[in-house]
Amino acid sequence: MAKQRPGFIADPVMRARAVSPLAGHIETGQFGVAVGQSPSVRLGERFGLSIAEVTAWKGRESKCRAAIKATASAALKVAPGSGSVKTAAGAFNIAPMRWLVSGESPELVANLADAVSEDGTVTDLSHGRTVIRVDGEKSRWVLAKLFAVDLSDAAMPRGNGLATAHHDIFAQIQRVGADAFDVYVFRSFARSFWHLLCRSAEEAGYRVD
Amino acid sequence: MTSHRISTGGRIDRDKPVAFTFDGKRYSGFEGDTLASALLASGVRLFGRSFKYHRPRGLLAAGYEEPNALVTVTTDGAREPNIRATELEIHDGLVAESQNRFPSLAYDLMAVNGLAGKVFSAGFYYKTFMGPVIGPLKGTRFWMFCETFIRRAAGLGAAGTTPDPSRYERMNAFCDVLVVGSGPSGLEAARKAAADGKRVILCETAASFGGTANWSGKDGEMFADTVLSGLKSEPNVQLLNRTTVWGYYDGNTLAALERVTDHVGRPRAGKPRHRHWVIRAGHVVIATGALERGFVFPGNDRPGVMLADSAQRFACEYGALPGRRMVVFANNDSAYQAAARLRERGAEIVAIVDVRPTVGDWAQSLAAEAGAETIPAHAVTGTSGGKSLTGVTIRGFDAETGNLSGSKRRIACDTLLVSGGWSPVLHLASQAGAKPVWSDKLHAFLPPESDGAWEAVGSAAGEGIEPPEPVFEIAATGGKAFVDFQHDVTADDVRLAHREGFQSVEHLKRYTTLGMATDQGKTANVPGMAIMAAALGKPIPEVGTTRFRPPFTGASLGALAAERYGDLRPERLTPMHDQHVAAGANMYAAGLWFRPESYNRPGETVEEAYVREARNVRRNVGIVDVSTLGKIDIQGPDAGEFLNRVYTNNFGSLPVNKARYGLMLREDGFALDDGTTWRLSEDRFLMTTTTANAGRVMQHMEFYLECVWPDLRVNLTSVTDQWAGAAVSGPKSRDVLAACVKLTKVDNDTLPFMGIVHGKIAGAPVMICRLSFSGERAYEVYCGAHHGPHVWDALMNAGASHDIQPYGLEALGTLRIEKGHVTGAEIDGRTTARDLHLDWMLSKKKPFIGSAMMDREGLTDPRRWTLVGVISLSGEKLRGGSHIVDGPAEKPGRSLGHITAMCYSPLYGKYIGLALVENGVARIGTRGFATDPARSKTHIPVEFVNHVFYDPKGGRMHG
Amino acid sequence: MIITCPHCGPRDLAEFTYQGDATLSRPEPASTDQEAWNAYVYDRANPAGEHREYWQHAGGCRKFLVVTRNTLTHAISGVEFAPATGSSRRKRS
Repeated sequence: MAKQRPGFIADPVMRARAVSPLAGHIETGQFGVAVGQSPSVRLGERFGLSIAEVTAWKGRESKCRAAIKATASAALKVAPGSGSVKTAAGAFNIAPMRWLVSGESPELVANLADAVSEDGTVTDLSHGRTVIRVDGEKSRWVLAKLFAVDLSDAAMPRGNGLATAHHDIFAQIQRVGADAFDVYVFRSFARSFWHLLCRSAEEAGYRVD
Repeated sequence: MTSHRISTGGRIDRDKPVAFTFDGKRYSGFEGDTLASALLASGVRLFGRSFKYHRPRGLLAAGYEEPNALVTVTTDGAREPNIRATELEIHDGLVAESQNRFPSLAYDLMAVNGLAGKVFSAGFYYKTFMGPVIGPLKGTRFWMFCETFIRRAAGLGAAGTTPDPSRYERMNAFCDVLVVGSGPSGLEAARKAAADGKRVILCETAASFGGTANWSGKDGEMFADTVLSGLKSEPNVQLLNRTTVWGYYDGNTLAALERVTDHVGRPRAGKPRHRHWVIRAGHVVIATGALERGFVFPGNDRPGVMLADSAQRFACEYGALPGRRMVVFANNDSAYQAAARLRERGAEIVAIVDVRPTVGDWAQSLAAEAGAETIPAHAVTGTSGGKSLTGVTIRGFDAETGNLSGSKRRIACDTLLVSGGWSPVLHLASQAGAKPVWSDKLHAFLPPESDGAWEAVGSAAGEGIEPPEPVFEIAATGGKAFVDFQHDVTADDVRLAHREGFQSVEHLKRYTTLGMATDQGKTANVPGMAIMAAALGKPIPEVGTTRFRPPFTGASLGALAAERYGDLRPERLTPMHDQHVAAGANMYAAGLWFRPESYNRPGETVEEAYVREARNVRRNVGIVDVSTLGKIDIQGPDAGEFLNRVYTNNFGSLPVNKARYGLMLREDGFALDDGTTWRLSEDRFLMTTTTANAGRVMQHMEFYLECVWPDLRVNLTSVTDQWAGAAVSGPKSRDVLAACVKLTKVDNDTLPFMGIVHGKIAGAPVMICRLSFSGERAYEVYCGAHHGPHVWDALMNAGASHDIQPYGLEALGTLRIEKGHVTGAEIDGRTTARDLHLDWMLSKKKPFIGSAMMDREGLTDPRRWTLVGVISLSGEKLRGGSHIVDGPAEKPGRSLGHITAMCYSPLYGKYIGLALVENGVARIGTRGFATDPARSKTHIPVEFVNHVFYDPKGGRMHG
Repeated sequence: MIITCPHCGPRDLAEFTYQGDATLSRPEPASTDQEAWNAYVYDRANPAGEHREYWQHAGGCRKFLVVTRNTLTHAISGVEFAPATGSSRRKRS
């Protein structure tokens, strides 16, 4: 167990006691798919992740990147939006000197706080964000209905991310695969956003597992 | 009716008949037909009644420039008016109606307006309906009185009143090159850009790509098909038909409307009706072509008068022949080509009347091909027929002087094809900020030099346009000569406006309403300006043109609202939302948040519910969801110093694991927000803000950290959504916590007022701060938001034996009003700390934001509106927002302030409220009135009291 | 309007919030010079032409930017991170 700094709050999601904001609102199955066709988008929530925001003090950016690499095995470049994604963890740059780190380990945030130490600050957002994965050949088409950002191959290499907004819904988006994107939204907007996403994907036909 | 359908050719599919109704009558056409072409093929000539005079009108054009044939489409009970029949693709079950007629299109009673012609001239409304100088209908009131009746008599289609059931959506797109228009020039531009490896979007407003290639020649059609099939196989090219680019905005951002499913009766599930495209383009190619214009002469609006190129389009693209016996009236060679093509498709071309004294060889040979008599140096001076053309009158014409000569000759015909020259479609270039340039050769406005962000190609740039003889009007007598068909503006209206002193083209436009109808004067503007220029005695370029503005053609409001409408409006829900709903709460929209207003039991009113809930807090214990409070994680070695500068009171001295109530001012010295901030460690604080101001406070602090004090080492992160919060309030609150909190004690020594402890409830980590908004002993319990429902249930279970009840916003408000605590209703941007009796929080030991300005003269005036309590003396319910006055209902006097919040107080058994009142403190103990003359019409005697109604010493919350 | 955020690249105006005149300098916190405070809080030049304005990329990286914008044409000739410009400390011209 990581050694915690005084006053630091790492609050891992306890599966048995946690409720997703989408609980009871995710209908599994295929939607908007004509007979004989297969859905071109897959939607799903990644619930229970550990999520943290890391902010470096000026001049300590490289130390924070190293701390993220050590904790979440995500190698980050200096360029804006640079990110990395592995199966168990990932990170991407969301603002100058600021990164969003996520992973499946419940110890991730506390470990991150130890690793970052005096080089910056760590804020646990494991409960504050809902992560929705949008995958499939039409994922960009669906996301383009909601976000005015260029998600093309050239503009957004795999692993990279960005921060944007759909009107009042602030969102951070990471490209996690050829056609796969993880969208981080504020928990309180999760249900509205899910509804919006399903509506937007209906035209293309989507599947929820 | 006879069929005007040509047996071969065109882009219609004769194997797929389509049935539809127009004005209740059944018709059939083919897939690929527009309503206009299908009706034309069925022999229909009459499409609508005109705006002011209710004159019969037919088709003038075949595309988006059509001014006359506007129809209303009814889908599942929802009406959409003012759709151009020339753009409306028919589908099985389409129901369309003509407009602006009563009781029917053929027998329109309002046509009597035509007899009263002079009355409806330019500026008619402004002049006639100004009322007398005095009296009940003085000035514009008379206009307002008459308007209802005028609107019924003059106007376009009526909008529906039922909600629109259609689905709309938005699409964001990025490309290197956007090509607008898919005629030969647009296709060529797209092909070239695609070959260079560019990301290309090609938009075509019509159903099929190809533009003029679809109707003006076999070679063009083949070229278009070849290029198109090439483009379709390019992965970097997106082809959008039925998509009108209607707006050109800063930063090469363009707006387009895609009509996704209007052309099919029942769209597949999930398909939107319209899609609003926002396209960010590196470069824009304007390949929008040119529009033909007609002539202004008496009777030029009679059904059967049609633009020559449009007639060609109907015949060639849709296989619908506009008439059998045609006369052409032209000032340029392009009409000769149309005549030859129409002849080829089976029309008889009787004569070609040309204003020019001589006609060139090419035109002569085309005329011979068309089998038409060529009549140079003549002009059409009138038309005959009732609701359909039966003939035209021509006379000798001198194009130099405009003089008519010789005797009238009548030619029988059912169609008059007019071609008065061409206007490049430069709307988008003009929207981009470029001022159109007049060409003396083409007698049209051309796009100017580009700034590099866009280019115009093809006929949009004036290329390939036949130069016309500059004749716009045939000044003959014998009836109204229309310039703007859709707004019924005549040549005489333009001249009248000039005589009345309107010199500027912008004024002319507004006074006559020329070019202000839904077609934006696409066929009318240039003739209108030419007539104005002639009246002014100036050349056209000196008169100039009006600036084109978006939208190019109408964009549906639904598409613009798309993802913000109905159930797609975003809602913010707290982690315990479902529990509130299950407990019977009626949810209340507070900004984007949904919060319980009260938990009504069966048969209870909202007032009965909140009074019960508030009483239970005072007697036993209540629980309220406070997850919506703004929460900001403030970290860094300078966090304490930063808060000292942001808050009016001292936070640097706050001990770890203690909270303090804080007040922020704006730079101008007025109050900004309040809340409690908790010190979690030496370099870490958790700030809470009011729900409504969370975003604003965050921005406020970010501004100072980034722009004013970048030397401070402090990081801010919004954690509003990370924490679920529940306030447990009431004398038994400690018992409830003691029954469920593990790993810490909650007694008064361990957890005193403003103390913080960490523990667990039902296995989930919690952070508890002892705070009170209600005035009772109370605790705010925070846990990770995903654990919120679990912890809430555990608190409810632990409280069951203590009669715990959830309470909503109304009870929360009642408790805080009794306690005299302020919220956003009092911190309204106009109040100071002193106004709210919070001057005890203004530190004198340090500067803070607002400290330099808060003592200005005017902010310290004792007569300012200050916070007081009010009690209704009559037992009547007070209304929030009521004005405070000191006179009786008959003579209330001026406003002395207003009620900011009210409730029924279970403590007093009366309606009480908080109010901001002039010289408020001095009024305590005196009486006045709360008056609400506009809404509830109440005028209630009130007594002014101290703003703290309940437990002013605070014994209950500290105990 | 498109603002090219130095971190996020070109983004739509909708992602940004206007945050006021960036040509002003805040008096020292302890200053009691009422005229200086009054000028800082209330006086605005409202130029017709080039202007320096604070915009926050609220729907993105949340950084404060100084945008040099022509108020007549909306043309943007420069975007910088706010602290780098030191504009809050610059004397009013």
